[in-house]
Amino acid sequence: MEAALAAAEARTGQLDFEVWVTEKADALLRFAYVLTGDANLAEDAVQDALTTACARWGRVSQADDPEAYVKRMVVNAHISWWRRFRRREAPVDDPVRNARPFPDGTAARAEADAIWELCATLPDKQRAAVVLRFYEELSYAEIAQLLHCAEATARSHVHRALAVLKTTLSKEGAEDA
Amino acid sequence: MPEHDPEQELGPRISSALQSQADARTGLQKSGMAQEARRRVRKRRQAVSMLAGAVLVAAAIGGVWNLAGGESPVATNSSGSAADSKPANEPKSGHEMAPRSVVGCPADHPILTADSPSDLQASAGLDVNTPVTGLRACRYGFAEGGTGLLGQEVFNAAVAQQVVDAIKVLPERNPSLPVFKCAPQTARPSEAIVLRFDTAAGVREVWVEYDGCAAVGFFTGNRVYGLYAAPLKLFMTGSVRPSGGTHLSALPGW
Repeated sequence: MEAALAAAEARTGQLDFEVWVTEKADALLRFAYVLTGDANLAEDAVQDALTTACARWGRVSQADDPEAYVKRMVVNAHISWWRRFRRREAPVDDPVRNARPFPDGTAARAEADAIWELCATLPDKQRAAVVLRFYEELSYAEIAQLLHCAEATARSHVHRALAVLKTTLSKEGAEDA
Repeated sequence: MPEHDPEQELGPRISSALQSQADARTGLQKSGMAQEARRRVRKRRQAVSMLAGAVLVAAAIGGVWNLAGGESPVATNSSGSAADSKPANEPKSGHEMAPRSVVGCPADHPILTADSPSDLQASAGLDVNTPVTGLRACRYGFAEGGTGLLGQEVFNAAVAQQVVDAIKVLPERNPSLPVFKCAPQTARPSEAIVLRFDTAAGVREVWVEYDGCAAVGFFTGNRVYGLYAAPLKLFMTGSVRPSGGTHLSALPGW
């Protein structure tokens, strides 16, 4: 009897995980994409996070917000890549915008592309802080927790990134004018 | 003019840019992620189980070994007198018995599967400045049909130290030996000898290569000493004496 219950529970747990992944995969991949700036890295980060989540699904599924929990795992997976491989290119001192404004005048789209490309030139932690602040709309305390740093450091990451973005966008705005 | 807070000024623009990029990104692989996660978890658990099993087996072997009264092949010399721990199955040899008991030559020694003698790890190799208290020479064959342990001989501390002293003064290569160039299939030696020295830190090895044309000399894991007759004639006796070898044929006096 107990074995049957355990088997039923296991089947239910397995079903929950499958269903949950089906529902949330898109959001997780979008988040990972803006975090990493690369589709392949995004897929790898999400797969790693889901593997970790699967191994502890009992606890993850009981969390207040399992999606946020797994997103934290995605961030951790990405951070661990920084630490293990330093796989990404070194940040440049002065970001350069390569994309030209769209000739058809879709200024908003052109600006979005420009900001995206500038974000790609940011150091990894600055970029992660920006994504967590403006895409996930997290507080600095939450960002600090995710990036394993002090709140002041998280704030500093975002403000430095903003300063670089502002300087570059202002410079290019003047050049375009 | 008031200074704008950059977060208020740029925040909405960045937020919008990130959202639009995320929206525009299609084609990310979504299917099969749960199944792949489960497969990886199963694989990890299998690996952990296998590791745990290996640890248990090793612990069991260690326990049985201790019960049998033998010394572990990697145990450090923490026992007192060396002579009082001789195992009952110590093989007879035509030479003086080693004062310390040592485990016999392993039948599945790493040299049998090594690509080259440089595979000997420095941690397992002998530091030639370390005092040695015994030696077991193990001769292994690699030829087809004759792979495995071909013979072994045991030597006492005096001979062991003489062998080390004779090796450590040698240059990196013996210039009188011809340089052979041969096809890869014949480069591999048909046999080699492993010298297993007893030291205070446990068994340490020197690999002796004298056949084939890929490598020649005494390999300690840290460096290579040229092949000379002086050390060879100290231990190439009895079942450890080869009938010949690519380089031995050009080396007089061994």
